[in-house]
Amino acid sequence: MRNYKLLIHFFLIGILLTACSSDDDNASTVEFVVAFEQPSIQLSNDLQSREVQLMFSRPAPQNGTLNIQINSDSSVYDEDFSTFPEAVENQLELSFEAGETNTNFTFEQLTQVLEGEEKSIEFEITEVSIPNTVFSGNTFLTVNLSESAALGGSFEAEVGGPNQPNQVFINLSGQQQTVVSRDAWDLAFYSGNKNRVILNYSTQMAVGKTEFTNLAEVNQATVETLIPQIAIGNFNPENMVFVDEPSGDLNQTAMDEVSSNPEENHVYILNLGNEIGTDTPQPGSVAVSGVARGYLKIRVLLEGDQYLLQYADLNATEFNEVSIPKSSGFNHTFFNLNQQSIVQVEPEKHQWDLNFTVFTNEIPNAGSYMFTDFILTNRHGGTKAYQVNTDELSYSEFTYENVDPAKFSNDQRTIGSNWRQGGGPGQAPSLFEDRFFILQDTQENVYKLRFSALLSETGERGFPAFEYQLLN
Amino acid sequence: MKVTYSFVLLLIIGVQLYAQQEDFDWIQDSVWNEQMEDVIVTGQINPQSVKESIYEVKVINRSTIENLAANNLADVLNQSLNINIVPNAQTGKSSVEMFGLDGQYFKILIDNIPMVNDEGMGNMADLTQINIDDIERIEIVEGAMGVEYGANAVSGVINIITKKSSENNWEITPYIQEETIGKEYNVTDQGRHIQSIRIGKNINKNWYANAIFTRNNFNGFLNQQQGKNHPFNDGLRGHEWLPKLQNNLKALLNYRGKFNFFYKFEYFDEEVNRYSRQVRSNYNPATQTSNPTASDDNFFSERYIHHINLNGKVFKQSKFDVSISYQQQKRDVEQFNYRILAGERFNIQRTEFESRRVFFSRGTLNNFVPWEKVKLQTGYELNLINGFASPMSNPLGGDQINRRLDAYDFFTTAEIRATSRLSFRPGARLMLTNQFDPLIAASFTTKYLFPNGWEIRGILGTAPRVPNYDELYTFFVDSNHDVRGNENLSPETGTSTFLHLKRKFWLNNDETKWQVKFSSWYIRVKDRIELTVINDMPLQYQFNNIDLFRTWGIENSHSFQHKNFNLNLGISVQGVSQQLDSRDFDDDFLYRLQANTNINYRIPKWDTTFSLFYNYNGPQFQFVQRQNEDGETELVRGKLESFAWFDASIRKQFINKRLDLTLGARNLMNIKQVNTTATEGGAHNDAARSLLLGYGRSFFLRIQYNLNF
Repeated sequence: MRNYKLLIHFFLIGILLTACSSDDDNASTVEFVVAFEQPSIQLSNDLQSREVQLMFSRPAPQNGTLNIQINSDSSVYDEDFSTFPEAVENQLELSFEAGETNTNFTFEQLTQVLEGEEKSIEFEITEVSIPNTVFSGNTFLTVNLSESAALGGSFEAEVGGPNQPNQVFINLSGQQQTVVSRDAWDLAFYSGNKNRVILNYSTQMAVGKTEFTNLAEVNQATVETLIPQIAIGNFNPENMVFVDEPSGDLNQTAMDEVSSNPEENHVYILNLGNEIGTDTPQPGSVAVSGVARGYLKIRVLLEGDQYLLQYADLNATEFNEVSIPKSSGFNHTFFNLNQQSIVQVEPEKHQWDLNFTVFTNEIPNAGSYMFTDFILTNRHGGTKAYQVNTDELSYSEFTYENVDPAKFSNDQRTIGSNWRQGGGPGQAPSLFEDRFFILQDTQENVYKLRFSALLSETGERGFPAFEYQLLN
Repeated sequence: MKVTYSFVLLLIIGVQLYAQQEDFDWIQDSVWNEQMEDVIVTGQINPQSVKESIYEVKVINRSTIENLAANNLADVLNQSLNINIVPNAQTGKSSVEMFGLDGQYFKILIDNIPMVNDEGMGNMADLTQINIDDIERIEIVEGAMGVEYGANAVSGVINIITKKSSENNWEITPYIQEETIGKEYNVTDQGRHIQSIRIGKNINKNWYANAIFTRNNFNGFLNQQQGKNHPFNDGLRGHEWLPKLQNNLKALLNYRGKFNFFYKFEYFDEEVNRYSRQVRSNYNPATQTSNPTASDDNFFSERYIHHINLNGKVFKQSKFDVSISYQQQKRDVEQFNYRILAGERFNIQRTEFESRRVFFSRGTLNNFVPWEKVKLQTGYELNLINGFASPMSNPLGGDQINRRLDAYDFFTTAEIRATSRLSFRPGARLMLTNQFDPLIAASFTTKYLFPNGWEIRGILGTAPRVPNYDELYTFFVDSNHDVRGNENLSPETGTSTFLHLKRKFWLNNDETKWQVKFSSWYIRVKDRIELTVINDMPLQYQFNNIDLFRTWGIENSHSFQHKNFNLNLGISVQGVSQQLDSRDFDDDFLYRLQANTNINYRIPKWDTTFSLFYNYNGPQFQFVQRQNEDGETELVRGKLESFAWFDASIRKQFINKRLDLTLGARNLMNIKQVNTTATEGGAHNDAARSLLLGYGRSFFLRIQYNLNF
């Protein structure tokens, strides 16, 4: 009998242990915060209405309202500006419904600002009807009616997901984002005082110099040994001669400087790289390169102050010829070989600071290698940057006094891939949270800049985001 | 005292009576001897004693398993010489290396037939998935066993023999085992918790049935990690060792009569949770809030095994033995995103990760020629394997693989007793597959018993290794890489030679027994498959049959028994040479010393057994490619530091042996990470500086109740 009792005890213990091991889920969640999307808005004095976005930190738990106080020393409601919905005694009330993640109101500038006049209006979130709302982040918004540099803000660069189909040019001071398909161009002809041609660094292009100066002499047979070498990513340190110097130094492009003496302008074999990928990769991975696009033979000459581009299929005896002028105000003139036309790619040279792109970089001792989620600074426009590690100073503590002008580098890869961890087979890349960057733009505004995302919330590549703040 | 002896004796004889069935021709040496002289079946034409066996078979018996409180195969094998358990923190699996060759080169069998897992049949098994609660003993045969067990049995086989009889009408045996994982333990979400019950019943003289259910909840090892709810991207989320929960149900129906018959069923499931170390903070600069998410995986494995065996006598002296088995194992992956603060799962996607479905049959006919001095065995083996691998299962990528590998093997072997002292055993196997050219495995074994008691065995064997899916079907091609599998690969060829010399001595009026053994071996794997550069411009990699692996070693072991005291000691030195034609190489032999000991002392008066297990692994060397300061690649001798496994336990029985308590400690040397310079980095990652081998000193308590009536 005693034995049976023991047995029963035994089972009770077992059941007890089994019962206890269910998951204890934690119930804590993100606090509810309402904030302006950007801390400042610059209106370009064009009397257009503009939507002002407010963001919630999480979907609203219930229907509610929020109050915004409007303050301005320089402007008057209904004279210089107005809002919709309308404010009552400089109090703007907005309502929202449960489940919404943002709301907005419309701002309208009513009068032109005179030259030299500075007019700005300040909005402040003062009340939110949701219990336990925390006031944090952009609780203030400054709307500048006259043109001035943005105080800061945030961007989600539209790189376009794991195929990374876009080049995204960002203008920090003007809060503008320009999105261009990265296969929109093939060659870029420098518009400054050098005669240089660069390759599209985002489509895995490479170019090799032949001994010939006559396109007709070049065909598959005459360049047979050269062709297989003109490639990136083959872990051969020697292959850097086939791509432009990744720092952006125009004195070290893959193609020689275009000479006014036609005899010095050799024929080059151009590996057109790959189309934009279309596969859907595993979450966290990229699929940027698609079908290989083959080879062309090209030759660039000068024709007065214009470039003259000659190009043809490898074995063709005839060739196309096109004049390409320099574009004043722009870094380069961009040419699309497929469409056989000049295309607009970069914004004007002083209108962008960052370029999110796929990029052909160099791995020391392993040669050229394709990098995704790469960020170039506008070297030819004059943008410079350097990296600060948070163990020196945190992002929030860093002020203009801490800027060290000697550290600024004009290497266009200063941000490059340094903001993220590499990843590789079996290991997803991730964001470095121990560093931020200081950037001086083309108008000498100095910003601090910190990346907040590499992946989407669900872990897909190609959804980078960052925030920035004006220091001077 | 006397009661205990007869109890042990009864147990052993009971077991042996069954296991032997026939040919009960071993000589009783002494009371002590029976414990050593297990009857073995691995590689045998007829079951026989270790001494009779022409192969050298190592046996791990039930009491060793219980003294180690071992629940699965990984718990027990790390005390064996020449075997290393290699846990994988990424997948939660534990694989095994034997003579420096990985799990692709040896087979795990259960009751003499290979066991399926999600990567192979017999090969590549995850040792933590093999429950050993119902087993009688483990037999290990070292060396190529291609004739007996077919392809991939290159470095050896591990044969797990289950218990198929009982001397009681009813046997009801529940147990619980509570175990710390390092210093981590609580009743809810830390430590290891095992609950198990086994019920056995002798239905009548002919029929026996049993069933066993075991639940093994291994909550993972955190170490410095912070678990699944850690919200920061500082690398501290998740676990050092992945948590897993296993359920295992096994049933057996056994008939003994004119013919013998058994049916075995096994169901196994496992959930492994992999919480990503990488956290996406999803910082919202506008509100200055974060809603961190992570991409996590749960792996679900499920295994079914049906095994029918029929054996008996035909035509007077001939014996037949036929096993038919259907087995399948599937591993699914559930990928999901996890909002850490809210504890909310979303974007849940479940897909098949990899699987194997196998129809297996093996049949033998023995002694069909009525010669006294020659015993012939001829047989067939049929393996119809349907394999599936998702692209996710290959770290380099590739397409989804659905592949059928059918193998039809025929083998014949003879045991020739030239004299009462000298025997030979030649054998050969022909393997026909739908994938490769016909393969041949051969073996030749010799045994000689010297008049002074020394026994010598020489064993020559061969076995091929069939290429795996990654080697055949990898396809990882983008603008930076070109790595391809090779469907034209041929199987690797393994050859082994073993020489064993041993003798037993009886001292102190037969109160003390001492067995001494010297072994030496040489294993060679030719046409080894390796990733090679096949083209420099552009750089292309492909798997090819080009390398050569060689290992040789010597081992000396001793086994003492004096009254209730047992001591085993072993020491081995093994050299490995790898010739890598794929790149700069150095084929020097690199040596490693291993030693193990276990001490066992029983105090019958107290029903108490004390056990110590110690396994020392000397520094291990390997040539690795490194970049020197000038950026040039050079070959250097990397080193994995030495480490030792040290386990101890006290086992005591109460209430007429009905209650069985085992209290013990694993890994008393507190091994976790072992420093290494013997790994290579890749283009994307630096070489690992340490190898995760254990989770530190941990303690266990096992309470078992034996209800027999």
